Amino acid sequence: MARTPTGIMKGTLPLLVLKTLALEPRHGVGIADRILQTTGGTFQASPGSLFPVLHRLEQEGFVEGEWSTTPEGRRAKYYRLTPAGQRQLAAEKKQWAKVALAIGQVLESE
Amino acid sequence: MRLFARLASLWRTLFRKDALDRELDEELRAVVATLADRHVAAGLTPEAAERAAIASLGGATGLQRTKSAVRDARLGGALDALFLDVRQAWRSLGHARRLTGVIVVTLALGIGATAAIFSVVRAMLIEPLPYRDPEQLAFVWLDGAARGYGHAPMSGPDFHDLRTASRTIAAFGAIWATGTIALDGGRGSGLAPEQLRSAFVTTNFFDLLGVRPELGRTFQPDDATRPTILLGWELFQRRYGGDAGIVGRTVLVNDQPTTVVGVMPPTFRLLMPPDASVPDRLQAWQPFWPEMEQGPRGNLFLRVVARMRPGVTIDQARADIGGVSAAIAQAIGAPRPFTTLGLHDEAVRDLRGPILVLFAGVGVLLTIACVNVAGLLVARAASRRRETSLRLALGAGRPRLLRQALVEGLLLTGAGAALGTALGWAGLRALVAFAPASLDRIRGAELDATVIACTAGVSIAWGLLLTLAPASELLAADASVLAGARGRLHAGPARYRTRAVLVAVQVALSVVLLVGAGLLLRTFVAVQQVDPGFSANGRLTVKIALPESRYSERPAILAADRELRRRLAAIPGVRAVGAISHLPYDDLPNWALTYAPDGTTTREGHPSADTRAVAPGFFETFGVQLLDGRTFTEDESPTTPIVVVDDLLARRLWPGQSAIGKTFLAGQAFPDKRVTVVGVVRHLRQRSLVAELMPQIFLPYQFWQRSPMAYVVRADRDPGALAQDVRAAIAGVDPHLPLYDLRPLAAFVETARATRRFTMQLAAGFAAAALALTGLGVYGVLAYAVAVRQRDIGVRRALGADTRRVIAEVVREGLALTVAGGAIGLAAAALGAERLGSQLYAVAPRDPLTYAIGFGLVLLCAVVACVVPAMRAAAVSPMDALRSE
Repeated sequence: MARTPTGIMKGTLPLLVLKTLALEPRHGVGIADRILQTTGGTFQASPGSLFPVLHRLEQEGFVEGEWSTTPEGRRAKYYRLTPAGQRQLAAEKKQWAKVALAIGQVLESE
Repeated sequence: MRLFARLASLWRTLFRKDALDRELDEELRAVVATLADRHVAAGLTPEAAERAAIASLGGATGLQRTKSAVRDARLGGALDALFLDVRQAWRSLGHARRLTGVIVVTLALGIGATAAIFSVVRAMLIEPLPYRDPEQLAFVWLDGAARGYGHAPMSGPDFHDLRTASRTIAAFGAIWATGTIALDGGRGSGLAPEQLRSAFVTTNFFDLLGVRPELGRTFQPDDATRPTILLGWELFQRRYGGDAGIVGRTVLVNDQPTTVVGVMPPTFRLLMPPDASVPDRLQAWQPFWPEMEQGPRGNLFLRVVARMRPGVTIDQARADIGGVSAAIAQAIGAPRPFTTLGLHDEAVRDLRGPILVLFAGVGVLLTIACVNVAGLLVARAASRRRETSLRLALGAGRPRLLRQALVEGLLLTGAGAALGTALGWAGLRALVAFAPASLDRIRGAELDATVIACTAGVSIAWGLLLTLAPASELLAADASVLAGARGRLHAGPARYRTRAVLVAVQVALSVVLLVGAGLLLRTFVAVQQVDPGFSANGRLTVKIALPESRYSERPAILAADRELRRRLAAIPGVRAVGAISHLPYDDLPNWALTYAPDGTTTREGHPSADTRAVAPGFFETFGVQLLDGRTFTEDESPTTPIVVVDDLLARRLWPGQSAIGKTFLAGQAFPDKRVTVVGVVRHLRQRSLVAELMPQIFLPYQFWQRSPMAYVVRADRDPGALAQDVRAAIAGVDPHLPLYDLRPLAAFVETARATRRFTMQLAAGFAAAALALTGLGVYGVLAYAVAVRQRDIGVRRALGADTRRVIAEVVREGLALTVAGGAIGLAAAALGAERLGSQLYAVAPRDPLTYAIGFGLVLLCAVVACVVPAMRAAAVSPMDALRSE
């Protein structure tokens, strides 16, 4: 079912980016495409928010950028998850599960 | 490693900005191209496709905004990683503003006081003497212990033997700050004659120290054969207006034409042992007379400094000098022991005790301050238990929380250190302003980079330690608390115990400080009450030197003395006039003669007695008690030696008998001098208020003339108001008589007490601060204990517990802590007081009264600190207490 794309919940984009890159290296547009696709069109990562997050993750050593060529023959900067990024992803997933559970409980208790 | 990576990335972000920007541009162009490809695939022209792609990125503005957002993210990421903790710590400290203020001020007081005292310690005890290779300098005393004269100067022949026979010493130099010289500008110079405090030195003295003159030169070997003088900077400025032309000119010294060879720099300090009677601020120096080394061996006057050869240790020098001593003993048939000590150790000997006491005191104070702060931080951590648990539940790792606690501790100590440095600077200025002359070197103390670095080091160490206190709280906190939501959020017994221990430590340290300060205070009071054997109040003193050119013959000198005393006595309101060669507590070299029972034939090894020349009227003017016989009159014989002795000497030579009319041998230098006792007076404490020194012999001025003499006037009027009349009276005798040191006798006595007064006042200040901090600490822990048990108390009150019992319980808890800490403190004080030893007088290091008062004060302070929380506990309304959870 198609949904109207919405902005991404504050603070969750890094997690989504890490998760996206866990499968394979992608370039910026590819990451945005993938997020839109996996969330069934719910979350649209705008370039204005995606690129700052990418660069910040790169700076923190969780992802690594590398120039490569797209299947269409264009040069693009591909991002790849580092081992530190994999650990961070695991930690954030656990964290997220807790928060989600807590929020879920709060919401259900109403 | 993580930290390094972060710093590296921060560096790139800040300094490799252009490269990063270029790469970002390229990346975004690639994005535009990729998106445009899709539009082309959808059928747009390449131009339209690119426009559409740019539009989907928010247009040109959107691209710029994205770029700057990336830049901010990079910078923010780098900075945040580093400063997130700092920001968070800052915020959380800001929330508890009052607590933060108390902590910072407490730390600042401790750190400031420590910084000030440490800079004093450094300037006075640690800083090397301002001479070349000062560690190679030694001071050599004649060991007169056997004669009751511990550190004695040595004679010319001793100096000669040491100089020629020792192998480890590169050079010996000697100084004798005997008294004063009269300086005259010569006819027509327009300068008034004046008396200068000066010293004789060996011509190598300044070279030996390795100090250079500001102008001209110091002495050369042949200067000893002709009249030469070296001026001090102050004299050069004051008298000669800083005119360099004075070097090489001739001035009249004691009416003798004398060549000025040079001027010493303003920075030159003469730092000699305190009992060497070499004041720091001498105004001029002259070389010893050429035959100085040939005087009699009994004539002890040389203060000797030795420069050891490079590589020679003080022990080797001591052994070498011991060898010379043995050779001399062999030659003269009597022991001739020397004492060789490092010059630095000797120069700071009397300062070391008081200053180390202050340093120890301030160290204890700093510890109390830090323990206090630790207590406050634990309290705060405990009160934030819910927050801590929440954050743990939300996944903040314990390391993260610990790191934040660390940052908080460092932030607090940093702020405390900054404020403390400012306080320390101000405190040091105050110390310098109030320090007595005996602690003159304090003026060199500076709060410089080293002191600040050391202070910062101590602060950081404390910051780390302070973290440990709340860290215990962190480790105890548990995410599961949240599960119970309303579980016991207040601290358990363990937390309370941490704080209780901290308070007990504070109490113990306070007791130590209070007992220490109490002992010093009681010492000071005792010293204040010491009867020196004379009365200082209402006496004015002035020193007068009779110029040798006009007063070389005995009749002229005696006539001048008589006339001076007659004129001084004629001043309205003057009750008595006398004169003595040495005023009490002055810095003139001591005079002593050996004494031996009549009939003694050996010439060596006799004890010494302080010897003074006094003019008639002295004993009466000073208020000295005459015990037996008579004092001196105007008619004493200039040739038949009679003496007045003190009761000490009378008891030693003729125990149980009257000394009047008895004779004894006085003076190694005058082996045939048999003197007759005409009077016995009470011992005068004239060189030290507290030390038991040598007995005393007084010779009449008619027999033994000395210049300068100190004239003492006792009047009904304020001594200060007498000054003009005294000057006029002296000018009436001889308008060209230089007079100097016109000041009340009480001022001399005060200098003898000044160091003790200063130490005592500072120690009392530390003790008061310690008391206040400890009160705060006891209050804090009890207030906390009450708050934690508010519910319990409420329940018990609801069940009918009586108010008084609740109060008593809280107070009892506080007092139990205080008594436990106090007991430890008393034991520690008893151990530490042994170290005070030499600083104490007339009070035992374990004086029970002082300990009782010290402990009592802390206890009192604790009771006051208990009452407020106890009242609060009593005021708890049962309903509120039950509802509060």
